[in-house]
Amino acid sequence: MPASRFTQTGNYRVRYTQDQTIFATYAEQLSLLLLIAALFALPLILPRAWFPYLTQIVIFSVAVIGLNVTTGYTGLINIGQGAFMGVGAYATALAATRLNLPFYLAIPLGGVAGALIGTLVGLPSLRLKYLYLAIATLAFQIIFEWGVGHAPLLEQGGVIKPPTPQAFGVKDSFLNHNVFWYLVSLPVLISLALLWRNVLRTRHGRAMIAVRDNDRAAAAMGIHPGRAKLTAFLIGSFYAGVAGGLFMYFQKGAVIEDYSLGLSVKLLAMAIVGGLGSLPGSFLGPLFIVGLDRGVELLSQSALLGRVTAFAEGVDVASALRPFSFGMAIVLFLMFEPRGLANWWRLTRLYFKRWPFKF
Amino acid sequence: MNLDLLPQLLLAGVVIGSIYALAALGFVLIYKSSRVINFAHGQVIATGAFIAFALTQSGMNFWLAGLLAMLATFALGMLIERVFLRRMVGEPIISVIMVTIGLASVVDGLLHLTPYGAGNFSFTTPAALSGAGIDLLGTQLSRVQLAGVLAALALLGGFTYFFNRSTMGITMRAVADDQMAAMSVGTSVERVFALAWAFAGLTAAAAGVILGLMSGLTLTGLAGIGLKVFPVVILGGLDSVLGAIVGGILIGVLENLAAGYLDGLVPGGGTRDVFPFIVLLIVLLLRPYGLFGTKEIERV
Repeated sequence: MPASRFTQTGNYRVRYTQDQTIFATYAEQLSLLLLIAALFALPLILPRAWFPYLTQIVIFSVAVIGLNVTTGYTGLINIGQGAFMGVGAYATALAATRLNLPFYLAIPLGGVAGALIGTLVGLPSLRLKYLYLAIATLAFQIIFEWGVGHAPLLEQGGVIKPPTPQAFGVKDSFLNHNVFWYLVSLPVLISLALLWRNVLRTRHGRAMIAVRDNDRAAAAMGIHPGRAKLTAFLIGSFYAGVAGGLFMYFQKGAVIEDYSLGLSVKLLAMAIVGGLGSLPGSFLGPLFIVGLDRGVELLSQSALLGRVTAFAEGVDVASALRPFSFGMAIVLFLMFEPRGLANWWRLTRLYFKRWPFKF
Repeated sequence: MNLDLLPQLLLAGVVIGSIYALAALGFVLIYKSSRVINFAHGQVIATGAFIAFALTQSGMNFWLAGLLAMLATFALGMLIERVFLRRMVGEPIISVIMVTIGLASVVDGLLHLTPYGAGNFSFTTPAALSGAGIDLLGTQLSRVQLAGVLAALALLGGFTYFFNRSTMGITMRAVADDQMAAMSVGTSVERVFALAWAFAGLTAAAAGVILGLMSGLTLTGLAGIGLKVFPVVILGGLDSVLGAIVGGILIGVLENLAAGYLDGLVPGGGTRDVFPFIVLLIVLLLRPYGLFGTKEIERV
């Protein structure tokens, strides 16, 4: 056992079970608990105007963890995570409108629907690899968008509005809508993140990483690569489905434009900017991209930019800056920091842990 | 089924299919030489088309404008390769894919900065193409369509000749076949990559201009061709020039047949937008390397 359970002074692990522990020290455990408490206390501190963005960050984090399960940890490139979110959103909307289920039952149902469809879409991964699988998920994304747009049951892609949710005597109203969904999404995110962290140290989680690193070698070790890949799709699309259900309520209805190819690309960008195959990255990526979006929005509203671009008439600067900055973020991160923000996070932590020694 | 429609649908399919083939050609060139899947191809197509349009707007002759646009995207392709893709050699596949997705977004943003980002534009049809069309198999084929098909076929033929006969074409094939071996006999792999991107840009502008002439210019419509390319190249085989041609025409015909015969069965219609992707999934499951692609053999 370590000499101290409070600060890490070295690696004292002598058994494999010790390598599987999530927290090395009590200090880490404590700081996580403090962080969670702080996140729950945010509605008391921050003005209400912040919560549309914070809620988005929380909901996208759920989807990005799911995307990391398939793409980051198992190495299956998935350009259809937005469609999986859409499946969850529509299943949740149907459960809420047709079956009159309350949101806390409808959203898990959305997750299950996402998982079912996701596993189905994952079936080609038994045969296809890399690029081909990426193209197959892209095809699913397009077929999904088209299918919803042509289904009378789903209002041809128009808005399906769920009944107003209610929890603990609090009703989701105009004034508290964003805070309400922030407080609903946050526990979902925390529990799903802890769930994945724990799955990761089971044989299934390790099998996925083995398949990512080399599926031939994994097969030689007695792992069934096909099963690991399908498990990854199952978990990843369950997360997407839950995120979709939350996002549907947050957007006050399911509408097809919310779950287009653009969303899939956005989620991939979040995963990459955060750092593929990293749990802290799954939070930092959405934080960065949503923040960037908001920053661009503020910039394009500011008077300064209006003066700079006054010469170009008929040009919508906001709709130009958004894809540009977003694309630049992806490209620059891939070129200069392929391990993403998670790497910065790791380096910062190491710096403090090892201070004043440089190495 | 109404068989009277058949010749018309087939003809329309071949017309649009030859443009798909031209668009797919650029995509295949890049994949064949550098194993990069280019998600920004649609945006390059749009850039080419809008450069040509801007030049004609300023009073330039249509043909000259088209030629200059092709040269501009030739340079753009080379630039993209040199600045962004050259650094990504040896990086994992997902990084390379995501760089092209990011680039698609960047070019999209840049196009939105021009006055052509939103709205619908159309070329003024040049005089040589505005006369009456010809009658083929009982259906009218306008001069624009005819010229489009001929130009596409000429470019495709030219590139096939280039690959089979010219030194540079053979060098490119050598690099596609085996980079290490090609390097060891003294070819410059970098130059081949740059040239592949440049040619992809050139054909993309050609496809964009022809499409713009036929059905108008919108950013989303032109960039959307970049997605239509996927069913084409998967059906034809990702690394086959012949496959791009055959696949393009097949997909064009299939989507027109779907529009003709399946639209009535589906509420709302519009099957032409989705049918190619269903074909894509079926091909991926049965024959992922396509009709003419190289079957990849994995060795441990």
